[in-house]
Amino acid sequence: MSDASPLDLNAEATGGPSLSYGQLVRRRFYRNRFGMAGLIGCLIIIILSVFAGFFAPYSAATKDREAIFSPPQAIRIFAPEGGLTRPYVMGFTEEMDQTTFEITFAPDPEKQVRIVFFGEGEEWRFLGLTFDTHLFVGENGQPVHLLGTDGLGRDVLSRMFHGSSITLLMAFMVMGAACLIGTIVGVTSGYVGGRTDIVIQRIIEFVKSFPDLPLYLALVAILPTRADPLFIFIMFAMILVLLQWANLARELRGKVIAIRSVEFVRAAVAVGASDQRIILRHIVPNMSSHIIVWGTYVLPEVILLESFLSFLGVGVQQPMVSWGVMLNQVRDFQSLAAAPWLLAPVGMIILAVLAFNALGDGLRDAMDPYAND
Amino acid sequence: MTEPLLTIENVAVSFQTATGPRVAVKDVSYSVARGRTLAVVGESGSGKSVTARTIMGMLAPNARVGETTKVVFDGDDISNWPEEKLRDLRGRRISMIFQEPLTSLNPVYKIGDQVAEIIRSHREIGKAELKAEVIRLLTEVQLPDPEARYGQYPHELSGGQRQRVMIAMALANDPDLLIADEPTTALDVTVQAEILGLIKALQDKHGMAVILITHDLTVVEHVSDDVVVMRHGEVVERGETSQVFADPQHAYTKHLLASEPKGKPDPIEGDAPIVMEGEHLRIVFHLKAGGFFNPQYRELVAVDNVSASIRRGETLGIVGESGSGKTTFGMSLIRLGANQEGQISFKGERIEHLTRKQMRPLRPKIQVVFQDPFSSLNPRMIIRQIIEEGLTVNGLAPAERRDRIEQALTDVQMPLDCLDRFPHEFSGGQRQRLAIARAIALDPEFILLDEPTSALDLSIQAQIIDLLRELRRRRGLSYLFISHDLKVVRALCHNTIVMQHGKVVEFGPTSEVLERPQTDYTKRLVKAAFEVVA
Repeated sequence: MSDASPLDLNAEATGGPSLSYGQLVRRRFYRNRFGMAGLIGCLIIIILSVFAGFFAPYSAATKDREAIFSPPQAIRIFAPEGGLTRPYVMGFTEEMDQTTFEITFAPDPEKQVRIVFFGEGEEWRFLGLTFDTHLFVGENGQPVHLLGTDGLGRDVLSRMFHGSSITLLMAFMVMGAACLIGTIVGVTSGYVGGRTDIVIQRIIEFVKSFPDLPLYLALVAILPTRADPLFIFIMFAMILVLLQWANLARELRGKVIAIRSVEFVRAAVAVGASDQRIILRHIVPNMSSHIIVWGTYVLPEVILLESFLSFLGVGVQQPMVSWGVMLNQVRDFQSLAAAPWLLAPVGMIILAVLAFNALGDGLRDAMDPYAND
Repeated sequence: MTEPLLTIENVAVSFQTATGPRVAVKDVSYSVARGRTLAVVGESGSGKSVTARTIMGMLAPNARVGETTKVVFDGDDISNWPEEKLRDLRGRRISMIFQEPLTSLNPVYKIGDQVAEIIRSHREIGKAELKAEVIRLLTEVQLPDPEARYGQYPHELSGGQRQRVMIAMALANDPDLLIADEPTTALDVTVQAEILGLIKALQDKHGMAVILITHDLTVVEHVSDDVVVMRHGEVVERGETSQVFADPQHAYTKHLLASEPKGKPDPIEGDAPIVMEGEHLRIVFHLKAGGFFNPQYRELVAVDNVSASIRRGETLGIVGESGSGKTTFGMSLIRLGANQEGQISFKGERIEHLTRKQMRPLRPKIQVVFQDPFSSLNPRMIIRQIIEEGLTVNGLAPAERRDRIEQALTDVQMPLDCLDRFPHEFSGGQRQRLAIARAIALDPEFILLDEPTSALDLSIQAQIIDLLRELRRRRGLSYLFISHDLKVVRALCHNTIVMQHGKVVEFGPTSEVLERPQTDYTKRLVKAAFEVVA
């Protein structure tokens, strides 16, 4: 400040760049390493699921009848005779134990399959366009199963990538719908108050007191056994929404009641603003950070619920692929012991949950209006 | 003069924030001796509390203390002491009293246990002896009925009583240095005087050194021996209090001393019409008491049969302690508060029965400025949107909106380039001026001012008062001015209502009420406001 005269009305002054709330949040977020790691993790998972066709060498349904329950293949860059070479994987020789009839796989140095990056493979569709380029395929169409195959000879890695899109689609759909319904109901309840509030709160309590597992099981009972998987998928999502929105509505109601009596809202009443204007211009913008943070916490919750229920067989149905559906294959102990690589989606679930939680934590810290560090 | 007990040299503190480091304290040195009171004066943000917290080693985690900082306490340089050694010092040899007695006591523990905790953490002491010691302390701070208070919880005590408990806790281990950080700011004026008197008496008795952090110059003048004036993290003036007050050297000190609200309101025209009138207003809150099976309903009469009328150009003041119903009355007069019995008329038109929707056309004429400029501006809107809102909802054309906004900003002496900024970029005084701009942009005839200056520093108060007076003159505004600060009321109001427990105890021209108070209550208020410590 050039003018520091004590009588200058604006001596305390403003100076410095004008930062909006959004800019402040971004700055604070970028400095949070844990949150940034979460953000990067989330972006990777989202990109992976959107372009699953590109990253996965096969489609989710492609069966390799030559390789049933074949174990994961390691990528090798050292040739058996020594020295570096182009990355390749080894095929397997199958041997059957004559007493137990157990089939064991042993890497066969004779069967080397070179990996080709950005090679041509099966066709995949994205936004109505057809492509045939994959991140990697086996040379000359030879099979490569980095994470092994399941009992039908389907590539676990490819199914995991394809499954992530269904799982994330479910998570985002549920989050979006729950946020929308929760916001509308919660803000209405808190703002209108009185009898409306009492009724809405009792409804929320009713919804929250529902035993959820029987509800999911009932869904399976209600739906015809031959129902379209897509229909079941949507019904499943709707039930998740039904059980999730109530939490947000209740949290927001409390916040709205607090903010309704803050002076800037009363000042808006004093200038003659309508209820609609007060809600849309004053209350909801001040709720937005809470809603966003809530949303990022609900995503991992839905991912876990989806995998849990699909594992039980009441969630997403075949032939749709989700992480939970894949885990459904290892329900019995024999298949788990024989093919532990089928648990690979668990790793993805853990990664996704950690990443979204880290993102949520980072956002919450960055959006805290009282923090200034 | 004896050796100083505490000397701080070149204290520098900065905070790491999202927008880069912010310097809070640049280069502050002062010292205080046993038995003396040092007042640290300055406006909010001047770094006075941060400096005190540096002494205690109690800064926020994002604070960075400069390397030059040196804190010498009783001959020892404690600035680089480890936390364990400092902890032993805190509460035993250096004690602190905080501003907010409502939150600095733990609500789930009994008063006695909280005081005892402080003693026990620094001394080995028997159980019976401990209780006797606590009661002695509570007696010493003149808490009525200390035996009974021992087993009570903080919510059973008033603000002033809680601050006494805080003082008892601070004195528990006979400290050498007491740091009082705005100990009376949150209290009513009458209580304020008692607390300051108590601190003074205890200091004489124990021979403590006291650092009193405050922004209230009347307090400084009456209580302290020496004074340090701080501004923007630097000391601008220091010296003996009497000398600084008699002959201030620095322009800022002069400005602070000159900013006591003064002057008289300009007279109003004799036959000006009545703008706002409330007659026999009675506001009752229904409280539920008793259990579920035997519900009892209790009525709390917040405002009991209060009438007021304000003529054009008149400023009517309402004074009283917190809880006297003055804000409840004001808010219901402009139909922003609870439902009431009685009659309200605006320019001769009855408005007490109008619904919120029916009130809407009248809203631009009846405006309000709230107490806290930090919560009265929506943090997510830029200033333009905030001021424009009232104009938009009342259907003005964009061109006229722009003219009105610019006119309002000019009137409150804010630069036009502030329009695209967010409220958090402005200081308290600037925000309050923006809040006033929002009100006057609508071209009102009546403004309710609900303690508009009480959250502001003294020198800013004076600016706001001048501004309000100027606006009244230029625009012919009428104000209802709610305040607990009689000095401000004297400078601004033509007539004054004194309220206590929801009732009017005194009413008349301001000069009459303040100079010849009739009731004991008013006398006490006046005495506390203008004399501080008896």
